[in-house]
Amino acid sequence: MADDLTSYRENTWCPGCGNFAIFNALKKAVRKLGDSGTPRRMLAHTAGIGCHGKMFDYLMLGGFCSLHGRALATAQGIKLANPQLKVISSVGDGDCYGEGIEHLIFAAKRNADITVLVHDNGVYGLTTGQVAPTGARGARGPSTPQGNPEEPLNMLPLMLEAGATFVARGYSGNIDHLSDLIVRAVGHPGFAFVDILQPCVSFNNTYEKYNKATEVMSPEPASFDDAMKAARRTDRMLLGVFFQDMSRPAHHVALQGQRNPSQDRPDRKTRLDRVAGLLGTPHPGRFAP
Amino acid sequence: MGEGVFTFIVGGKAGEGVKKAGEAASRLFSGMGRHVFQADEYESLIKGGHNFSSVSTSMRPVTGTYLKADFVVCLDRRSHEIHREHISKNGILVYNSDAMPAGQWKGIGLPISSAAKKFPNPELRVGLGAVAALSACVGLDRAGLEALVRAEYSRDVDNNIAFAGMVWEAANPLIGGRIRLESGPARGQVLSGNQAMALGACAAGLDMFFAYPMTPSSSMLHYLAAHAGQLGITVMHPESEIAVANMAIGATYSGARTMVGTAGGGFGLMVEALSLAGCAEAPLLVMSACRVGPSTGAATLHEQSDLRHVLGAGHGEFPRIVASPGDMGEAFGLAAEMMGLVWMFQTPGIILGDKHLCESAMTVDVDIGNAAWAEPLMFSGPAEEYRRYRQTTDGVSPLLFPPVDAVNKWTSHVRDELGISTEDSGLIEETHDKLRRKGEAIERHLRTITTVNTFGHGDPVVMTYGSTTLAVREAVALAGLDCRIVQPIYLEPFPGWAVGCFRGGPPPVVVEQSSTGMFARLLEEKMGLEIPRDNVILKYDGRPFDPEGLAARLREAI
Repeated sequence: MADDLTSYRENTWCPGCGNFAIFNALKKAVRKLGDSGTPRRMLAHTAGIGCHGKMFDYLMLGGFCSLHGRALATAQGIKLANPQLKVISSVGDGDCYGEGIEHLIFAAKRNADITVLVHDNGVYGLTTGQVAPTGARGARGPSTPQGNPEEPLNMLPLMLEAGATFVARGYSGNIDHLSDLIVRAVGHPGFAFVDILQPCVSFNNTYEKYNKATEVMSPEPASFDDAMKAARRTDRMLLGVFFQDMSRPAHHVALQGQRNPSQDRPDRKTRLDRVAGLLGTPHPGRFAP
Repeated sequence: MGEGVFTFIVGGKAGEGVKKAGEAASRLFSGMGRHVFQADEYESLIKGGHNFSSVSTSMRPVTGTYLKADFVVCLDRRSHEIHREHISKNGILVYNSDAMPAGQWKGIGLPISSAAKKFPNPELRVGLGAVAALSACVGLDRAGLEALVRAEYSRDVDNNIAFAGMVWEAANPLIGGRIRLESGPARGQVLSGNQAMALGACAAGLDMFFAYPMTPSSSMLHYLAAHAGQLGITVMHPESEIAVANMAIGATYSGARTMVGTAGGGFGLMVEALSLAGCAEAPLLVMSACRVGPSTGAATLHEQSDLRHVLGAGHGEFPRIVASPGDMGEAFGLAAEMMGLVWMFQTPGIILGDKHLCESAMTVDVDIGNAAWAEPLMFSGPAEEYRRYRQTTDGVSPLLFPPVDAVNKWTSHVRDELGISTEDSGLIEETHDKLRRKGEAIERHLRTITTVNTFGHGDPVVMTYGSTTLAVREAVALAGLDCRIVQPIYLEPFPGWAVGCFRGGPPPVVVEQSSTGMFARLLEEKMGLEIPRDNVILKYDGRPFDPEGLAARLREAI
């Protein structure tokens, strides 16, 4: 994979892992973004910890490899501090639907202008196959040898309800469709959520199931209610953009207007004058003799 | 009580504007050219309960409030029960006669509630009645009172002026001008520790402040949020302390100077991110305020039990800078200095505050012009040569902020110079060595700045830290003790070089607010001392030391 977006780091994903396809789709999307006026220098990439997180090492792009579950908090900090940047977060399902779900829900709620790419394979692959939040009831893993006693989360309706303004699902088995979804997500002015179905060849090999069950939506739902109906379907795993709303202001605009905290930094004198302005409130009192 | 010190106490229910009355009294005394110290005690509730604010004032700097007050206003019956014993010899007790059953009560009754009932939201107004009574007692005329009300009670100001005037007229024949306080040209700002630290960080270049509310740090969040526009900063209250710390770290990647505010429990949630900042070499500045623990403890009360918490937090080995200001003026300069240091060394820094420091307020002369300015080492050169984690002799690698053509990778992993993770044994050692060299560089730098305060020249040595320094200074001044107060400002790296001169003499007396003597144990470890138990003066009832009580215990120990 010698290309200028691939690092020298030895790739240790299992042969046949869905991450290869997501990696290729993301690189393809980065090139398309470059061709359409968003150069790599304007991108920042964050990742959590898990098999997905190796993406950070393999991809020759600037950014921040964060903690397990926290990549979206890191991403929002980067974005708020420099709203010019397009921030793309690669996260895992255990990472982002488990440990760090608070950040996902709140990023959706506040319409943080970041792109979230969830590598959703239903297992914790890097820690040898424990069942993850989207794993099926009854699924066996080293932490649930008798079978998972819990129901899986269906994240798309949850994201719609939480206020996500761009909700999509892709499949690692459909690279071109996925890379288009990523480009659309990055172009969305607000919180963009892409759940990516991804087989784990070692612990949850779903290729056959997904090849049969997935279906690219055409046309895509036109309303929130249609989006919710499509997202709730369990007979077919629909792919594409379920919902997009460009009318809500992005969080960074709602919070700080057009100010760019890291690029429009006032000089020291201005700061000291402002502090002095807050300190300088003399007492107006008059006293009886 | 206290030589030349006048103390005012106002007590009442939560929601009656007790703290606000203390603030207004502080402004009144400042306007008279007096130094003030204001401390508030409140319960973790919105309405009811017992709150009180005490303000001690003098023509000399005053660094604590006194339990025995010269003028006490009790807005409710419970305050009367609690504070009627806290009157100094010639002190005056005023109570809200509408809040007491008919009968003979110690002190002078004023119909504060019935006056308040002539206006909307009467219960929110009664605190102002205490200010009006105080004003009459110290000889402030109606016009002076009106100006004070305009400055401090600007919401619904006309009704406030009318109400205050009514209470003043009732009080004036009974106590008007009874207490005459020395006055001079108006004094500067009265700042709480939280305000001082917030402004200090702003002076050093703060761009973004993140915090999740937790007493006693919340007033820093509120203060910065209220003035965010004027200061030109972003203030955000995200979903949790975990989000707070990780967002702040992310923001530093973009080049924004950030700070977060929290208390011991919230700091506990930030610990994994603290370790991340150490590894990724992110300049994360944390203000963590201690309150009574463990766990929820007593949320609104004072203690110094987080010392080991902040010194030891975070898995793995990484350099950190920990400092604790000893008064509100120092809090301003130290916050700026810490902002400068975390950016100079790209590593986490913690300002250890406590309830008394953060929420009490005192007269400060803020030295704005000498505030530090955070300016990191920046990379200059061709983008393709940039390496985020370039090995350097002092462990500090030059920074670049996006957008840049260089591949600029920050990471939580052991990594090579570019920031790509590795399990190579040599690179693991190099990563550790880089962070260790950085720690050594921090210590070399601290040796060139003031890391320890001393007050006085005598013997023996009394060691303390954080806001307890205030109480020790006040007690020593009150009792006229000939001793030397030694206060380490920096706690990590511990400035053994600066306090080491006290090795060899008799063991120091140690004063701190913990039950186990954490600070004394730290001094033993860092200075190779043995400090006898009898030399350690502890207090752990949730309240700061009263200067008179501490003076007696110091006399005994010395």
